[in-house]
Amino acid sequence: MSELIDHHAHGAGHFAAIPSASLPWRKRSFLIDIPIFVLGVALLYSVVAMARYWYGPLTPQVEIDLRARALPLYALYSVLRIALAYFLSLAFTLVYGYIAAYNQRAERFMVPLLDVLQSIPVLSFLPGVMLAMVALFPRRQLGVEMGSILLIFTGQVWNMAFSFYSSLKNIPTEMREAAKLYRFSWWQKFTQMELPFSVIGLVWNSMMSVAGGWFFLMACEMFVLGKRDFRLPGLGSYLQTAASEGNTRAILYGVMTMIVIVVLTDQLVWRPIVAWAQKFKFETVEASELVRSPVLTLIRRSRLLTTITRKTVAPFFESLQLRFAKREITELVSGQQASLPRRIWPVVIAVLAFCACLYMAFKGVVLLSGVSAPELKLITQGLFATFGRVTVALVVGCLWTIPAGVAIGTHPRLAKIAQPLAQIAASVPATALFPVVVLALVKMGGGLGIASILLLLLGTQWYLLFNIIAGASAIPTELEEACHIYRFSAWERWRKLVLPAIFPYLITALITASGGAWNASIVAEYFHLQGRIFSTVGLGAVISQASDDGNFRLLFAATIFMAGTVVLVNRLVWRRLYRLASARFKLEM
Amino acid sequence: MNTTQISEFLEQQRWPELIAALRQLPPEEAAKQMEALDDDGQQALFANLTVDLAASLLGHFPYYHQYILLHKRTVEDMRAILDQMPVHERLQLLDELPDEAWEQLEEEIGELKRSADDAQVKTAPPAPPKVAPPTASRPLTAPLRELPLSDQAHVDPIIEARGLEKSFLQPDGHNVQVIAPLDLSIYSGTVVALLGASGSGKSTLLRMLSGLSQPSTGKVLWHGKSLSETIPNVAIVFQSFALFPWLTVLENVEAPLLARAVAADDRRKRALRAINTVGLKGFENAYPKELSGGMKQRVGFARALAVQPEVLFMDEPFSALDVLTAENLRGELLDLWLDDKMDIKSIFIVTHNIEEAVLLADRVIVLGRNPAHIRADFRISLPHPRDRKSPQFVVFVDYIYKVMTSPDAVVAPPTHGRAGEASRYPLLPHARPGGMAGLLEVLIDLEGTEDLYHLAERLLMEVDDLFPIVDAAVLLGFAKIEEGDVSITPEGRTWAEADVTTQKKLFRDAALSRILLFQQIAKILQEKSDHSIPLELFRDILDEHHSDKDIRRQLETVLNWGRYCELFAYDSEKERLYLPQTTEPEGSTEEGNPEFPARRDS
Repeated sequence: MSELIDHHAHGAGHFAAIPSASLPWRKRSFLIDIPIFVLGVALLYSVVAMARYWYGPLTPQVEIDLRARALPLYALYSVLRIALAYFLSLAFTLVYGYIAAYNQRAERFMVPLLDVLQSIPVLSFLPGVMLAMVALFPRRQLGVEMGSILLIFTGQVWNMAFSFYSSLKNIPTEMREAAKLYRFSWWQKFTQMELPFSVIGLVWNSMMSVAGGWFFLMACEMFVLGKRDFRLPGLGSYLQTAASEGNTRAILYGVMTMIVIVVLTDQLVWRPIVAWAQKFKFETVEASELVRSPVLTLIRRSRLLTTITRKTVAPFFESLQLRFAKREITELVSGQQASLPRRIWPVVIAVLAFCACLYMAFKGVVLLSGVSAPELKLITQGLFATFGRVTVALVVGCLWTIPAGVAIGTHPRLAKIAQPLAQIAASVPATALFPVVVLALVKMGGGLGIASILLLLLGTQWYLLFNIIAGASAIPTELEEACHIYRFSAWERWRKLVLPAIFPYLITALITASGGAWNASIVAEYFHLQGRIFSTVGLGAVISQASDDGNFRLLFAATIFMAGTVVLVNRLVWRRLYRLASARFKLEM
Repeated sequence: MNTTQISEFLEQQRWPELIAALRQLPPEEAAKQMEALDDDGQQALFANLTVDLAASLLGHFPYYHQYILLHKRTVEDMRAILDQMPVHERLQLLDELPDEAWEQLEEEIGELKRSADDAQVKTAPPAPPKVAPPTASRPLTAPLRELPLSDQAHVDPIIEARGLEKSFLQPDGHNVQVIAPLDLSIYSGTVVALLGASGSGKSTLLRMLSGLSQPSTGKVLWHGKSLSETIPNVAIVFQSFALFPWLTVLENVEAPLLARAVAADDRRKRALRAINTVGLKGFENAYPKELSGGMKQRVGFARALAVQPEVLFMDEPFSALDVLTAENLRGELLDLWLDDKMDIKSIFIVTHNIEEAVLLADRVIVLGRNPAHIRADFRISLPHPRDRKSPQFVVFVDYIYKVMTSPDAVVAPPTHGRAGEASRYPLLPHARPGGMAGLLEVLIDLEGTEDLYHLAERLLMEVDDLFPIVDAAVLLGFAKIEEGDVSITPEGRTWAEADVTTQKKLFRDAALSRILLFQQIAKILQEKSDHSIPLELFRDILDEHHSDKDIRRQLETVLNWGRYCELFAYDSEKERLYLPQTTEPEGSTEEGNPEFPARRDS
């Protein structure tokens, strides 16, 4: 209970329930303030330094230094890129989700659009985005950096937008009615109702998005586009160069750095946020198991931060609330409808956007019409090959994750050991390991055909595993007991209880895993390594090769085929299975 | 002599003039004049009338008011008045009074004389229901409206609704009328209770009156001005509390004040005051999930009171709480209201709990359903504190049960111009055969008939749970309702006492002979060559007249009943109804619970 009082005394600022003099730990808070201050300064400096670098002249062919002491700098660059892409995604999410949730006409095409965009393989955007950005900033480093950031953005944003949108739609009616009845201003509604309600979904999706971001970053920090060879200083290019030169020590350093970054992010960023976000859980009674984060507690005890918040941040937000509230009142009293210019704007924007889309679609069709017959044959062959590989990867994945996941999910003691291990293993982005794996397999004498399946597996199996663990741990004990008492054989137990119970979770996982596998095929089927090109028959290879050769027509056509296939499979197979899962296999009694 | 004059004379206590004036009017007129007075005036006046005048006027008041007015006189006067009343009026009063009220009356006056025509003596076991003699009073089936409370003072209502109507557009395009056009006014200084079964549209009505949602037609006036011109000062206390879990109690209560751009210090003061009023001092910094249900609702109250609304709306505020907490909060609310500590002018509470309504309200409005319409609108003139067990209390509760179970005279207006179709498929009550069997067994134990209010008390059931079962039993001809009493019919008795197989057969016969929907199902199943129909077919038929939620419940009930009485089998995967295949010869007994018939694989 005292911890709660602490927390309230701080969070509520001037509502301290207990006089500060009597709390002993206050004396130590000064020590915590120092690292926080130092961290703040360091952050500021790195942002400034990065900005300066970006604004410098364009140096596409950066020499990657493979010494260990270059690693911190490269790691910092990569982290900053991810962070920027994330904040961009967050901003876009808030706007997109808000509009989709509140504007019925917009909703009708914005939500299916999200679905389609989620299915388009991100890496096929790579050439287009990069070239566009470089064209925008031909002489500055900024262009290339923006390109990579935008690319990561396209991989991160869709699931976050969808989460925010569905949170908004799920706000309980009576809460909305209270806000409407008491005439909350738009801003108050957003800060006191909509945003808090969506926080939990956003936090989990952010974690997923950032992990996905690393996946793409590793792949896009170093790549060949036609005659141009882009190389950005960062962890991804470090690893690729190291693998290319066969420098095992450097590879090891690189992977270790990756793990350290992931663990630090988890402890310093995600855990405090998740612990803080428990405040937003929409539950009626306090959950018995709380996530604790020592970092969060430290931050809370920092006098520096509390004073800054109290003196500057809180009054600012307070005046903002009052300003919006006053505006709302005057609007209500005058009872105006939105004035004509305000209503015109959305229509104008919609019309312009529509025209732009039409124009681009037209150009696209023109481009497509030039596709030759052999190219088409290449695409179709590749399509079947990749489809087969994805299926095999998923099946193999299921084959090991289902037994392992069920074992871990149903035996809590096993889970205690296995789960942290799995999480660490999962956190290393597969694309960082690709070069290593490919080299190893090539040394052993296999072709890229089999290796690419392994690569696809690497990228998707962890997601399967975690979902199956979640499903297995959700099996109610009573059903297990019933199986035991009625002496079900192991086979019967699996057939009648375990498999049906994990079915919904499995399907959810497979939907995402299959999308991820298609995406990964672009980097898995076509490889630049040690000056050689490894490739195999597949759609991913077609796409990569086309961007290598600068054949935009082929690139466009292949991307459309891949996106189309993913969407089709989604609707015909996964949607149906998902509906089956919710109708028949949902565990509700 | 008009009402203002009467009230003047009343204040000056000029009884002789008043008596003379009232004598000159026909009894009904005089009673109406008296009803236009406020409760205290009415009772004071009656207490001072001569016995013969009282006797002639008494029968023209509603029976629940008669009971109260009588008790304002001495015991000898009461006896004399009852003796001098016209016979049919006295008989009607005695019929309508519930048992407790009866018994108390008898205790006070001794055995009541009845006229020589009526040979019955009212002893303990209730006799089979008798035919009510023709009466001059209003029949129960017509909507009962009394004169508005403050008619004599010509006080303007705070909220006035005119021709309020609400329909919802269903996803497939047709309109379902939820609330039929109605008029309603809310006056200052009253607690109004809106009673109705679940789904009767009372929450929708509340939202329209408070300005939260727009009516489809009609308008709501706030102090005479429409809602587009003024902003009403109202607050709502919600059934599920509607608190923001991430804000502390203080922040939750301050939120509406923030919306009104009140500065921080002022906000805090007002919020703390409200929190103190509801008794939550010390919990300002707690989060809702640390609080119990009752405390959460107190926060809801504090939030509502902080804005000092003119009208406080409450949407079933106590139904999410356990009985004891609800009782506690109700008492505190009443105390605050009676001591005028809340700074509000009127309370409007929506509830499905009849006792709660009688406990709290000065005025009760009973809503019928499909579509919602006002069935009764009357005053409760009991003084506070009100004792649940007192006969006066029981009179009102009993009256409300009578109103709610009397046949509803209002029929839904035809939609789409299909005049006959509208009443073709009345909704089946949402009850299970097991529940019906239980009810009938209880009735048999109670010698075949029981007052609905007592039944609800005995079974600890609320209106929402009991009425569907009773309605279902009545629909199938196993029971009947008369004047608030439910009694078992001979067919019901046979059914309740039969064995499992016979029960199913009797149920099937009853369903087929009385329910159109089942007749149709049986017919179609017989005629089709594959003896099966998709469930969708009935969804489409029902679709025309009812909302999605209603349709789903209907289909659930239909399937439940049909499978129970073995009229058909249902495959939930294919969503089809099948004729059950008889695998055993007729007449063999079947083991098993009637609620869970053995599943036949077709």
